Amino acid sequence: MKFNAYYEPKTVEECVQILSEQGSDVKMLAGGTDLVIRLRSRALKPKTVVSLNAIPELSEVSLKEDGLYIGAMARLMDVSKSELLTGAWKIVKTGAGNVSSMQVRNIATLGGNSCNASPSADTVPGLVVSGAIANIVGKNGNRSVLLEEFFTGPGKTVLADDEMLVSFKIPKYADKTGAVYKKYSIRGDTDIAIIGVAGKVTLNAQDEVVDVKIALGGVAPTVIRVPKAEALLSGKKLTDQLIEEAAVIASESCTPITDARATKEYRKEMVKVWVRHVLKDAAQEAQKN
Amino acid sequence: MSDCEKTNYIGKSVQRVDVYEKATGKAKYFEDYQVQYRDLLHVKVLRSPHAHAKIVSIDASAAEALPGVATVVKGSDPDIAWADIPYASSYYGNPAKDEVIWAGQAVVAVAAESIEIAEQALELVKVVYEELPYVVDQREAFKADAVSVTSPELGIAAGYGGVQPEGPNVMGSYKLTHGDVEKAFAEADVIVEEEYQAGKKSTSQIECNGSIVEYHEGGGVTIITNGCGVHGVVKNHILTMYPQLSSNKVRVIQPVTGGSFGNRLFPLVEPLAVLMALRTKRTVSYVLTRKEMYTSSPSNWPVYTKLKLGAKKDGTIIAEKLELVEDAGAQIRGYFDGRLSSSGLMCVYNIPNVQCDSYAVRTNTMPCAPYRGLGCAESEWAMENLIDVLAEKLDMDPLEIRLKNILKKGETNPYGEKVTSIGLGRCLEAVADAINIDEPCQQDGGPWKYGKGIAAAGKQNTPLGRAEADCLVHSDGSIELLVSCDEQGMGVQTTLRQMAATEFQIDIEKVKVTRADTAITPYDNFGASSRTTYTTGNAVIIACQDAIDQLKEAAGRKVGLAKKQVTIKNGKAYFVGSNIESIDIADLYEPFSFFTQQTWGLLKGTPVRGRGVFCPAPAVEWFGPGHEDGRTPRMWNWYQYSAFGAEVAVNEETGQIKILKLMSTADTGNPINPKLVEGQIDGGVIMALGFSIMDHHMFQDGKMMNPNMSDYRLPTTLETPLQKNFMRAILPDPLPDGPFNAKGMAESIMIPVGPAIAAAIYQAIGVRPTEMPMTAERVLKLIKDKEASDAK
Amino acid sequence: MQNRANYIQVECEINGKAVDLLVSPDRTVVDVLRNELGLTGTKQGCDDGNCGACTILVDGKAAKSCSMLIGQARNKKITTIEGVSNGDVLHPMQQAFIDHFAIQCGFCTPGMIMTAIAILNENPNATEEDIREGLHGNLCRCTGYVKVVEAIEDARDKINAGGVN
Repeated sequence: MKFNAYYEPKTVEECVQILSEQGSDVKMLAGGTDLVIRLRSRALKPKTVVSLNAIPELSEVSLKEDGLYIGAMARLMDVSKSELLTGAWKIVKTGAGNVSSMQVRNIATLGGNSCNASPSADTVPGLVVSGAIANIVGKNGNRSVLLEEFFTGPGKTVLADDEMLVSFKIPKYADKTGAVYKKYSIRGDTDIAIIGVAGKVTLNAQDEVVDVKIALGGVAPTVIRVPKAEALLSGKKLTDQLIEEAAVIASESCTPITDARATKEYRKEMVKVWVRHVLKDAAQEAQKN
Repeated sequence: MSDCEKTNYIGKSVQRVDVYEKATGKAKYFEDYQVQYRDLLHVKVLRSPHAHAKIVSIDASAAEALPGVATVVKGSDPDIAWADIPYASSYYGNPAKDEVIWAGQAVVAVAAESIEIAEQALELVKVVYEELPYVVDQREAFKADAVSVTSPELGIAAGYGGVQPEGPNVMGSYKLTHGDVEKAFAEADVIVEEEYQAGKKSTSQIECNGSIVEYHEGGGVTIITNGCGVHGVVKNHILTMYPQLSSNKVRVIQPVTGGSFGNRLFPLVEPLAVLMALRTKRTVSYVLTRKEMYTSSPSNWPVYTKLKLGAKKDGTIIAEKLELVEDAGAQIRGYFDGRLSSSGLMCVYNIPNVQCDSYAVRTNTMPCAPYRGLGCAESEWAMENLIDVLAEKLDMDPLEIRLKNILKKGETNPYGEKVTSIGLGRCLEAVADAINIDEPCQQDGGPWKYGKGIAAAGKQNTPLGRAEADCLVHSDGSIELLVSCDEQGMGVQTTLRQMAATEFQIDIEKVKVTRADTAITPYDNFGASSRTTYTTGNAVIIACQDAIDQLKEAAGRKVGLAKKQVTIKNGKAYFVGSNIESIDIADLYEPFSFFTQQTWGLLKGTPVRGRGVFCPAPAVEWFGPGHEDGRTPRMWNWYQYSAFGAEVAVNEETGQIKILKLMSTADTGNPINPKLVEGQIDGGVIMALGFSIMDHHMFQDGKMMNPNMSDYRLPTTLETPLQKNFMRAILPDPLPDGPFNAKGMAESIMIPVGPAIAAAIYQAIGVRPTEMPMTAERVLKLIKDKEASDAK
Repeated sequence: MQNRANYIQVECEINGKAVDLLVSPDRTVVDVLRNELGLTGTKQGCDDGNCGACTILVDGKAAKSCSMLIGQARNKKITTIEGVSNGDVLHPMQQAFIDHFAIQCGFCTPGMIMTAIAILNENPNATEEDIREGLHGNLCRCTGYVKVVEAIEDARDKINAGGVN
């Protein structure tokens, strides 16, 4: 591994300035648990590394009027234990707690997990169904993007060269909302997910579905939603039959690949199994929140 | 407690000698010596991306010109070491010459001032390949019309043991005929037959393979390595490969090492590092990356077994016919002919009629070498599974059919060997009892289904040559053992120390073990086939007895008695027939005086040196006249046995398997150190759990898809059952010729784990896996296939 | 080799001692520990952040030193296996690993001990399940983890009973 320059800005402004000066051959270092491995294997050879570790404001987690703000540099371990993440927001804790081992979670960050743009990132499906918004700062000002629209392909995001992710905003959730994330892998959290399924269900007083979101990880170039299955469930009571149909639709709508973790056929089959479990569990959670 | 009991350390869990340094981080493994060298060069290797290709051209000029590059090695260089391999491939890890025969084979190597520069240099090398047809599936490779692993014009692998090759990739075969199999099948009431496959896997010890080679002016080298066999493997190979090095200029040291499990039995890093050191006259460090550990260091040898058993109604198995093919990978040869793998199918059950046709075949995959069990976990996978099928047909339970058919002490096995030690019956009964095999699992109506299974196993000890030991009795009475056996973590330094202290009837604190430095310690072959306790252990006992004999003689002379009147214990010589009761051993040594030359006899500062050489019965009769049927009264040295029982959960939606409860039993012979034996049991069980349900090499386009510790799924703490559900027992049958009646035990533990899990899966969910590992995907496919066929 | 002009200064505390490093920023923490400071007790078993042999404590929390650039150590308190004993008096975790035969080849041991200490730092009453959950980022091929977990439970009980550390 070799890079020519290493910067450690103290503020977001300073960071954006450096990014704008350095051009495209830059990598931002958050926790580094993924980046450093890829630098060492020479899969990535940036000229410049900009560390975000000296910008304290990026680690803040705060509850505001319009939702919960989690800084991009919040460590996954802290997110997985955060007492601010209650009710339907617990899905974000689950995802953060599913990433690898204690050693990794202590260092890796929520923002890093998104900016890697891995299709199997454990925190992303939960954030997507929660309607999370990515707050971005760049040379030309700030912008906010629905996290769902943040990813453009494996390893690719909408971030321009002079932009950085600073925080996530998770909007407030309605009453009777339940959200559940299930990671499916062979060795639990040690493994990268074969698939990840997040589901969020909001019910009305008659227990009909008012709002439902399903997000799948590990089955397409980015984390995807399943609008067809969501449409099927909307306005209806969740029966086993209906859930099974939604699970089949979800399975049919994904385009997984075969890799060392699983074949595409197995991934599709697992989507069917886990969408079913997730929807059932989310509906149950909805009764509690 | 009498003195004798106090100094009998056999069967006592004496603390390991190396734990303080290991617990504090002070233990020095080979890579930790790097910081001592200021002039160190680092080696990095460019490897073939193709399973089979002709090397059209290599342009390394830009790499050679890069500042900081000390030397570049290609297969066509004149000083590279070649050996007796007639076809084009690298020899023991050195770069390939004309063609590459597996993805991961070395093509160009660079030594540079830093790892960074070496890696940069490799990126500047331009290699033009012409891809050739390849074969990675061993059953394909076995066919008479298979694609040849090497280009045919470069020659094919000749058979081993004088057998004519039966296809382009068949390297050798071993056949055995015992009784009349066809007649026995005709007489059988029940016949069962099935094909089984066990996969390709890597030992994955946590310390990667590597060496530091220090160059000495005048052309000598000191090799600090975690490779096995400082004399038997490393030094022997280096001397053969580099004839310019004389024996007195090659010193091999094995420091503390981090596991091997068979993987390091071939010198894959030392030859290249030595070549680089000789060229550059510098100290060279060569450490494999984890990826290289998977793609370029040896895997096990996968085994395909087609097995047929015939039995009488009462459950007596009377006929066994097996066709077995072991996959040797692309390159390593030597002992591959199917004999090692098939041995597992002939050492557990007393079957009067056996026909064994076993073969070894090459494939375009990383070379194969021992992996804890020498192919027996792979072949007995077939036997134990098929016995369960047979038991079901006969309406017998799995314990009953096994107890009825296992070999008993004094009986003769299919090889014609008399069984001298077998504790398998007790092992089987204990596992069946521990998991309550007769009591069906409670089902809870969820996706997890529960079942139980048991299996048996045996493993031969291959006659792997000579071990020597020196026993020094220093003139202060302290004892030092000099041995070259490998210590890869199993604790042999501690057990040998226990043996020596017991022989001398002395406080164990007075015994030290000095190990594995060819300049100091005597010859030993290498640590394989669970041989060290037995072979090196016997050598140590002989060395101790030799030293004791010399002390008796010296002590007897002192007081005018014959040596038979003298006993050595507690650091003293005791006399019968003298008015002197005893003399301290230290007092037998005459004080050294500067002005006198002293006399013959024991002198302060010069230890008594006892010599021990032990060579197990050589396998002279393997190929000789009169043994055309493959049988001989001494094929192997002895057998270790084990049984395993498990309660498992199978997820019918995902195919996942969890081990809820397990019991492992081991016939270890008389155990020298029970806690160390327990450690071997625990580690063996979990290693086997991994390759039974998860970890294996996966190939796509001829390349390994999962050469990293993320996708190569080794068991973690989460796959291991809780303490209260992890049971084990040592149930020894003493080995008459073992040191203190001990035998080696680390391999048999592995063997029954997979089949017992398979039996439990069958009980849980009604499908019988035939392929190992039983991955979630494979199990789910069996479940879906069953659902489809049940629906018809 | 890096141009020295690019070197960065990193002040941190390693095993209780203030350290002021001037190093190339592209080096990992484990590389600096082993090759600059001679603290070779921290091991490297893989190149992909999975084996856990390189585990150290950063401000008391377990981290994999192979996946951290040296700049990330700035102003941190780093503890390696060399820093856990009190002179010749072993840390109760080290003693428990010895007492329970939890060490075989020993290569994973430093990382295991550091992770184990971190588990109890987080939760002094960690149950067997908590210990297994905390330890799954450390691979061992010799012990089957059985005696390792047993040792950590024993260390937990001894530490909680007081009198040690």
